Amino acid sequence: MKDRFSFKPGYRLRACYLIFAFTFLTLFMIAMIIPVIKIVVDSVDPTATGITLWPKEFDFSAYEYIAKSTSLYRPLLVSVVTTLVGTVVGLLVVTVSAYVLIQKEMPGRGIVSKMIMFTMLFNGGLIPTYLTIQNIGLGNTYAAVILPLTLSAYNIILMKSFFDSIPTALFESAQIDGCTPMGIFAKLVLPLSKPALASIGLFIAVTMWNNFFNFQIYITDPLKQNFQVMLRNIILMDAATGTPATAGFTSEMLKSAIIVIVVAPFLVIYPFVQKYFVKGVTVGAVKG
Amino acid sequence: MKSSKVNTPNQAVLSNNKSLGKRIYKYRWFYIMFLPVFIMFIIFNYIPMIGIAYSFFEYTPFKDPTFIGLENFQTLFSSKRFWLSFRNTITISLLNLILSMIFSVGLAIMLDDLIGKRFKKISQTILYIPHFLSWVVVASLFTMFLSPQGGVVNNIIEIFGGEPIYFLADEKWWTPVFLLINRWKETGWSTIIFIAALSGVDQEMYEAAKIDGATRIQRIRNITLPAIKGTILVVFILNLAKILNIFEPVLVLYNSQVYNVADVISTWVYRAGLEGGDYGLSTAAGLFKSVISVTLVYITNIWSKKVNGEGVL
Repeated sequence: MKDRFSFKPGYRLRACYLIFAFTFLTLFMIAMIIPVIKIVVDSVDPTATGITLWPKEFDFSAYEYIAKSTSLYRPLLVSVVTTLVGTVVGLLVVTVSAYVLIQKEMPGRGIVSKMIMFTMLFNGGLIPTYLTIQNIGLGNTYAAVILPLTLSAYNIILMKSFFDSIPTALFESAQIDGCTPMGIFAKLVLPLSKPALASIGLFIAVTMWNNFFNFQIYITDPLKQNFQVMLRNIILMDAATGTPATAGFTSEMLKSAIIVIVVAPFLVIYPFVQKYFVKGVTVGAVKG
Repeated sequence: MKSSKVNTPNQAVLSNNKSLGKRIYKYRWFYIMFLPVFIMFIIFNYIPMIGIAYSFFEYTPFKDPTFIGLENFQTLFSSKRFWLSFRNTITISLLNLILSMIFSVGLAIMLDDLIGKRFKKISQTILYIPHFLSWVVVASLFTMFLSPQGGVVNNIIEIFGGEPIYFLADEKWWTPVFLLINRWKETGWSTIIFIAALSGVDQEMYEAAKIDGATRIQRIRNITLPAIKGTILVVFILNLAKILNIFEPVLVLYNSQVYNVADVISTWVYRAGLEGGDYGLSTAAGLFKSVISVTLVYITNIWSKKVNGEGVL
């Protein structure tokens, strides 16, 4: 295709389309990536103004400050721990529910299925949910911020569709070999659905890491807050009040460094796990 | 597990005739495994549904619930602020949905049609990133970039001799900026489903069209778009059913100066209930929203059945 961008009569429209599409795509990608680069540069370069793609100086004092200041690194630890625990609990909830839903002859399976699906259609709403959690004494506990997020009907349907593809003959032969339902679950079902576990587990992990609202409304103790809430509070505070004058870095640097720390774990693993994210969505789409 | 030792298909049919007690006993481990999940669904999803009854009570943190009938709804429907938030919800969500469809379908077609395999992979990787950043992070990024004091956008405006604009606190600017930020975050990711649909289009049709001398634009209009029409409709309908749910993006990007254009039902409920402490009134507003949402789901489901031959529910 030598004449791809030819402006000879008859090719003009195609050339225009190609140039437009190429420019549009490139601009779009630049727009996606510039903010991320800028924030990294801003976090180490006190002189950064405008759009710089490489820092003029390197100054890691904002990061050092975060590492030394309890009120800043504690929320990070909270985020890490709640993400790990939340992902494990979330996967357990999803896999157990899906495992129960594929038991075609189990009495009550239909009711369980309806009970799970109904939550996709209707819920009590913000205030009744908040009051329920407060009234049963879960206010200011990590159970209140983690557990509601693990109950995802969508993820359960997704996992069930993966389990459905396991041949029934495998279950039968395991049963004949004397395996208990739990044994089948742990030794057969889970190992066979590793790609699904990776895919759904990653989505749950992102949800847990990005958990802001539940922390905001249920956690009243500032020492138990996570990193997202702390970032939000620092951004909301005026630049002047937020930063210690003696620390030797600008408030822009501190804010940027905090954003970099929130985003970094994801950006590091993302290129290796992207295919699982895509898979999770497209399988769901096909199954409706 | 004596009963399940020989579980041939014949046995499976027979087991249906066994007494209910025996069948429950056979599945006892499943009930035990599922019990904790069941309790969680009850606590976090079903008990709150009973709490909807608070819409008919006067209830604040300092006062036990007293039954007042429909008074909360009367207050609600005569409140100008509430109707304003209702209007904003519809305006913001609909504009967002329409822009989302145009951008994601357009981008998906360009990605599919234009470029080499490797470039396509890299660009998809980059385009998906913003979707995974939390709304707090995205709001923080843009609050910094758009800030009138030293934000990069206003720096550029000042270089060209303009006056700095406080984009997120100006009623004229808030909605366009909000829509733009939404496109920045979600456009890439929302192409994913269309790219999957496009990969199913028969390549031979393109070849045939090429031989027949169809231009690229003609091919897009006559082959590509009709081929993914069904997917476009399903995505549109599914999102239409959710338009009243918009919440977290608004919560982290709005402020008291732009309530007139930015306040949506969910943020109104949040402020009235959790900041103002009027549990009864805010529950009533939440119920109003839920009822409309469910109705929308049913209407769109009927619509989807008509166009698509099957429902989305």
